[in-house]
Amino acid sequence: MSHIETYRANAAKWLESVAPTYGKAARRSLSEDEDLALGRRYQNAKFEAGYAGINWPVEYGGQGLSHIEKVTFESEEMKHGFPTGYFGISLGMPVPILMQFGPDQEFAKERVLKALKGEEIWCQLFSEPAGGSDLAGLRTKAEPDGNGWKINGQKLWTSWAQYSDYGVIVVRTDPNVPKHKGLTYFWVDMKAPGVDVRPIKLAGGDSHVNEVFFDDVKISDDHRMSPVGGGFGVAMATLMIERYVATDSAGFGPHLDLFIDLARTTEINGKPLIADGRIRQQIARNYAMRSGLNAITARAMLMMQAGMTPGPEGSLNKLVSVRSRQKLSELAIDLQGSHGFAYDDHAQQKDNWTSSWINAPTGRIAGGADEMLLNTIAEKILGLPQDHRPDKGVAFNQIPA
Amino acid sequence: MSILYDEAQQSIANESRRVLEARVTKDQLLPLLESTGQYHEAFWNTAKEQGWTALAMPEDFDGLALGLVELGLIAHQAGRTLSGAPFLTSSFGAAKAIEIYGSEAQKAKLLPGLASGESIGAVAIASGADALPKQPQLVFADDRIDGMATGVSGGLVADIAIALVQGPDGPALVVASLADVERQAIESFDNSRCVANLRFAAAPADVLGDGEEAHAAALHILALQAVITAHEQTGGAEALMETARDYAVTRRAFGQVIGSFQSVKHRIAELYALVELARANCIHAASREGKDDFITAAAAARLSATEAYDTAARDCIQIHGGIGVTWEAGLHLHMRRARSLAIEQGNALFWEDILVDRLTGEAA
Repeated sequence: MSHIETYRANAAKWLESVAPTYGKAARRSLSEDEDLALGRRYQNAKFEAGYAGINWPVEYGGQGLSHIEKVTFESEEMKHGFPTGYFGISLGMPVPILMQFGPDQEFAKERVLKALKGEEIWCQLFSEPAGGSDLAGLRTKAEPDGNGWKINGQKLWTSWAQYSDYGVIVVRTDPNVPKHKGLTYFWVDMKAPGVDVRPIKLAGGDSHVNEVFFDDVKISDDHRMSPVGGGFGVAMATLMIERYVATDSAGFGPHLDLFIDLARTTEINGKPLIADGRIRQQIARNYAMRSGLNAITARAMLMMQAGMTPGPEGSLNKLVSVRSRQKLSELAIDLQGSHGFAYDDHAQQKDNWTSSWINAPTGRIAGGADEMLLNTIAEKILGLPQDHRPDKGVAFNQIPA
Repeated sequence: MSILYDEAQQSIANESRRVLEARVTKDQLLPLLESTGQYHEAFWNTAKEQGWTALAMPEDFDGLALGLVELGLIAHQAGRTLSGAPFLTSSFGAAKAIEIYGSEAQKAKLLPGLASGESIGAVAIASGADALPKQPQLVFADDRIDGMATGVSGGLVADIAIALVQGPDGPALVVASLADVERQAIESFDNSRCVANLRFAAAPADVLGDGEEAHAAALHILALQAVITAHEQTGGAEALMETARDYAVTRRAFGQVIGSFQSVKHRIAELYALVELARANCIHAASREGKDDFITAAAAARLSATEAYDTAARDCIQIHGGIGVTWEAGLHLHMRRARSLAIEQGNALFWEDILVDRLTGEAA
């Protein structure tokens, strides 16, 4: 058994052992507060067992291993439906970026440890009402204020801000230069006076995203994590940090086996749907697509183990898997006919077609909309030109509204 | 699991690409469309000279003992430049049937010729639209075949054929000499495939496998060929995707290159997705030869490669506008090839069923 297979087997064994306490079944009828509390305990259990911060430096409380072990653990962890969602963003981007760019490293170490144990949560304050995909077009501003700064404006779609202790934020500090050049990156205390978090209820009924208002929020200059005007670079570094994450060819929806089971047990016009060519075609096409993504992931893992950088085709996963999950989930509801009306808003999108369907649009927009992913593939991989951008090189305050 | 290509495999890919790009041009391929039964001799001579015909054959019979991964790499390059003959796949299928199911005497008699390329093989498993008939149309009795095999790629010039026949005790997989078989050339939209109807009249043939084994053997041969074809389709799709990209960054309209319009650039990005999914499935399938899930992996590769090549042919021509539909531009060579490869070795409908049977455990 190779080193990584041993690691996988040990991780799988540990995960099996804690699944009854923290997994899918244990979460079934919990309120969100109870679920979050369970999630904090699970995160702490991971920390104690040596599965938190797997690829983070030991001096920060991590395990000092590589992203191969991290991705391996995550792909096993995904099978059990643990309450990890609250910490995904926090440990995925803001906290690692604090390790890298935090001006006060003693402070950073304290925060990292608490985040790893599930005691503190960080959010990422990037998107705004005026722009999500067009990040550099943001309008929240920070103005000099004594020895520090004063923040005013509004952020939007901030995941888990309502439970967050801290956040990282990109703001405009100079509107007189082109949009990318007038941004600066800070961390903020989410409990500071003037910070107002309001959850937004999404189509599926849950409220994991928020709008966050900043009204004369004062911070000292030691909150600054980039040079003044150098915030866009750190923002890009934040988005790049999560390159090595476990992917899911099911697009974070149900496994294809569940669709096959459904088709097996459902009849239309007296015939089992598993014998219906229309359904068989969908099964075959979805399988071929998912097996392609799995093979891309398997090769990326092999490349990492060989010390190589995985190819850019890994960027296809979210684009391809989530939109097909959306269509397959629609079809799965159709298959059930009048039984398809039932809806349980506590159901998990990994094992419930209706939950998967109603949350699918979010999946296609959050973390890079399909159209932005296609732009990235076209521009970064294939060398196609950017779209026409009338705001290019124009001072932010001169961009036509 | 999948595999990464090693250095030797990488160099097979690079070298075959270099040779084919130097020796195959669209100006040589275009006239073949207007003549029946002509294949591109320079392509086939190259295949023989480079040892591609021997690549996946056993060493004992003058082969190089490499496998699906290596032959797939060459098929990918052949797909990029448009192979001028179908024999790389058809002879491979015939040779595999003999290697796996034949006797030592059959192997010694037939494999060296296929390995050198002096002998060409064809595979006639389908009966009409049915890629793998439960009851084959060819009738086999007293070691002789009667009946017609229709639409056999390479059949017009092949020396031997593997056929699925209906014997007195059920189906059998046989190998037959085509020396005295009547061949009717099919006038096709892709004439260098050398497609023919083969009329067997008491043609002598040797049994490779019969009874229960015959069907499984025929499916296995189809799957091996399908993986090679899938590589070829992926190569064709990749070349079209690059051609579309190259055109989109040079052709200008409304004061800018057309690649800056999202309707065009997203279309090309979607092709990239299809090509990479097909490539990943191909590599995976080639690495699963001999494993329990080989047929499943082959079916997935075949389905995604057909989708990639069809879509790339459609979209690449569309992105070119008027110039794309001219004879001279030659994009129709790929459009034609995308269809002929889509129906050789079982169409998408066939492989969808094979795949779902495997996934639901309905397959034997």
